[in-house]
Formats: sequence, structure tokens, C-alpha cells
Amino acid sequence: MTPFLAVDVQYGGNFDGALDDINALFQMPPIFEFGIGGLDLSINRTILIIWLATAAAFLLFRAAFSDARIVPGKLQSACEMVIDFVRNIALDIIGPKGVKFVPLLTTFFVFIFAMNLMKITPGIMLPPTSRMAVTGFLALTAWVVYVSVGIKTHGFLGYIKEVSIPPGTPKAILPILAVIEFVSNLILRPFALAIRLFANMVAGHILVVITLVTVHVFLYPRPGLPVGILALGISPLVFGFELFIIGLQAYIFTLLTAVYISSSLESH
Amino acid sequence: MITLLAAAEDASGAALLVPAMPELIWGFVAFALLLLGMVKFVFPRANQVLDDRSAAIQGKMEEADAKLVEAEEARRNFDAQIADARGEGNAIIEEAKQTAESLRRDIVAKAEAEAAAIVERAQADINAERDRALQELRQQVGAMSVELAARIVERELDPSTHQTLVDDYIQRLSSQN
Amino acid sequence: MDMVFLAQEAAEVAQSNLGNGLVFGLATLGPGIGLGILIGKAIESMARQPEAAGMVRTTMFIGIGVVEVLALLGFVLAFII
Repeated sequence: MTPFLAVDVQYGGNFDGALDDINALFQMPPIFEFGIGGLDLSINRTILIIWLATAAAFLLFRAAFSDARIVPGKLQSACEMVIDFVRNIALDIIGPKGVKFVPLLTTFFVFIFAMNLMKITPGIMLPPTSRMAVTGFLALTAWVVYVSVGIKTHGFLGYIKEVSIPPGTPKAILPILAVIEFVSNLILRPFALAIRLFANMVAGHILVVITLVTVHVFLYPRPGLPVGILALGISPLVFGFELFIIGLQAYIFTLLTAVYISSSLESH
Repeated sequence: MITLLAAAEDASGAALLVPAMPELIWGFVAFALLLLGMVKFVFPRANQVLDDRSAAIQGKMEEADAKLVEAEEARRNFDAQIADARGEGNAIIEEAKQTAESLRRDIVAKAEAEAAAIVERAQADINAERDRALQELRQQVGAMSVELAARIVERELDPSTHQTLVDDYIQRLSSQN
Repeated sequence: MDMVFLAQEAAEVAQSNLGNGLVFGLATLGPGIGLGILIGKAIESMARQPEAAGMVRTTMFIGIGVVEVLALLGFVLAFII
């Protein structure tokens, strides 16, 4: 597998060098280096996982709806449930106008869920969403969507006014509040979106790795055996908790994107 | 040396927060492709299936409604028919009653008529009998009177002459009465 | 490597990374309390008005998303410092 785990850690032995630097967990040396005109397009492990997860998600949905029937089979009902779930979010938050955002929000949900799921997928065990780049472009996409929707709805100046001046603000604090609102709505929002997903996934990845490394190192007839047994015992709980976080974070990202789109659509 | 949470000495912790360009680009490409695939392949079919399903459900419901209306119609027809039949039965019973009544009246009338006829006939019979008896009586009375007279007069009169005499007398009597 | 050695190591790590630990620990305090109040209130209102549970739950998750980010900023900051 990866150099930072299997190579250094001796079974039942040495923790030394196992996690010398936690950043080693997130260092992705390029597997295949190339670039176009100075643009670095090297392929590394994260990118392979992204492609794999994306392809898996797409093929799953494709398979579910390639032979779509009125009375759905198991796979089709599951995929319809996902779409229905996101559609309900869109309709609840945005209202009737939300229907046209359903494909985008569903893609967000499915993509993030698939990426997050790689965290506890045996043999992969690395969520691409623990890379700032992935959550970054996701948040950027959401930002572009809700800002462009806002500009389309209110016009450029109208949208700037809309995001910076809350209704019913006293004139005295308007200048400072306008700056705060502007920054919070246009800069902090995508940043928070990206950071939330990223930090959750990093923390989850570290948790899973530490649990598994502890099992790996301590489950050995030595004085540390109880630790190994404990770690082995709680590892299913850790996986279950991570599964919960995976779903929750995908849901929250989709929900908040819907909320931001909704706030761009409505005027006060 | 175990450094679990972060490497304080190592500033590379912040490097975690810097997006790696290749990942950003390839990730975005993957995301865009997924979005494209969803919009192109999955959603048209999904929406079509949902539309088909709602259309099917709608159709089924409409069918059910139509069937309900049909059933209602049939029920109304049956009700009307039953009412008709009941009315018809009533009419038949009424008619039968009327027939029976008229029959009864006829029979009664006929019986009355017959009774009257019988009475009349009996009357006639009685009259005839009486007449006959009267006639006979008259003849006997005549004969007896002749005999009596003959005895009294001691003269044999011709019975036929006497008969004429008596008849005349009686005729007179009856005309006098 | 035994338990005593591990404990010593852990103590050393704790000392050398005290700042990071404190950053994250302190950063979780506020959001922890906030999340507790938020979810508690949400459950309260859901119990009071079960028919509005769906709306309350959605709003609760939005709130969780907003509050959670503060703790996660502390987590990220622990990496940066």
C-alpha cells in the first residue's frame, strides 16, 4: 500500500516511524508526471481515486436508469431515493424554482458521498475530499453557481447590494455591517464550505488510520495486547461513526449550497 | 518520535491547506464529467420514469374514477330497474286486484242475476202452479157444483153445458172482482 | 516498546505540541456548547411540534453546519500553527 504505513510499521513491534509526521498521510507524490504548457497535470493517488469513485458513481446511476422501469428494481429504487432526497432538499429550501437545480445538487451529493465513502472503502481508505483541492473546487463551483444565480436575478449591483445590506439596518452601523455581510456572504461562505468538508474528512481519515495502525501494532502477544484488543473492538464503531459523518457531510454540503442558492434567488 | 496531531517544527502542516493544482484540475474535470453524465444520461431517464410513473398512476386513478362513475351509473340503472320492477309489480298487483274486484263484481252480479232469475222462475212456476191449481180447482169446483146442482135439482144436466155455465159464472165473478 | 515507553512518548508529544492541542481544545469549547444548545432546542421544538419536525431538522442541520465550521477552523489552525 502506501509507504507511510506498511513499510515502516512492524507487526506487533515498532511504532517508531509509523506516523512520524501526520502530514505524510496526506502527501501524494505524483505517480505519473506530465503537464501541458507549464500546467502541472501529474496524476497522483488522489486523482486515481477521484476517477475511480466518479466512474463508480456514474456507472451505478447509469445502470440504475439504463433500464428504467415504472416499477423499479432494487438499484433503481435506491438511486431514485437519492434523487428524491436531494429533490426534497431543493424543494424545501429553494421552493418551486429549485427543480432546475436538482441535477447540480444531486451531482454534488453523489460526488461528495462517493469521495467520502472512499475513506472507509477497504483497499483505498483515502477520501479525496481530505484534499483541499477537491473541497476547494467543490466550494468554488457552489460559489460560482450561487453568485451567478444572484447576479442573474438581481443584476450585478443589485446583487452586491443584496448581499451587503441586510434589511432594516440602522444607518449608523451600515458601513461596518455592509463590509461584514459582504465578506461573510461572498468570501467566508465558500471558504467555510470547503473547510468544513476538508477538516471533517482529514479528521476522519486520521481517526481511521490511527485506529487501524493501533490494531496493527498492538494486536500481538505483548504487554500492549489490551490496547490492541480495545482498538480492534472500537474499530467497527469508528467505521460506523465515519459512515455517519460521510453521509452527514455530503448532506450538509448539499443543504448549504441549496440555502445559498435560495438566498441568492430571493430578495428582501 | 511520534507526532500525532501536527508537526509543530515542520511548517508543512500548512501545506495541507494549499490546494494542489493537478488535483484541483482533474477533480474538477471528474466533477464536470459526472455532472454532464448525470444531466445527459441519468436525469432525462429518471425524469421520464418519474413522469411515466406519475402518468401511469394518474391513468390508473382516472381509470378507477371512470370505473367508479361507471359503477355508480350501473347502480343507478339497477336502482331504476328495481324501482321499475317494483312499480310494475305494484301495477300488476293493482291490476290483479282490479281484475279480481271486477271478477268478483261480475260473479256477484251474475249470481244475483241468477238468483233473481231463479226467484223469478220460481215465482213463475209458483204462478203457473197456482194457475194450474186454480184451473183444476175451478174444474173440480165446477164438476162438484154440477154434481151438487144435479143432486139438488135432481136433474141430469149435460155436463158440458154445465161446464160452460159454471165457466161463465166464474168469469163473471172474476171480472166482478 | 511497552506501555511505559508509550506513555513517556505521549507526554513528550503533548509537551512539544501543547500549543496545537490547546488551539483545537479551546476552539471546540464554544461550538461544543453551541451545538449542545442548538440540538437541544431543536429536539425541544420537534417534541413540541412534531408536525414541523422536518423543517426544524433542516434548519438544525444548517445551523450545525454554521457552528461546526468554527470548531473545524480550530482543527485546521492546529495544523497551521
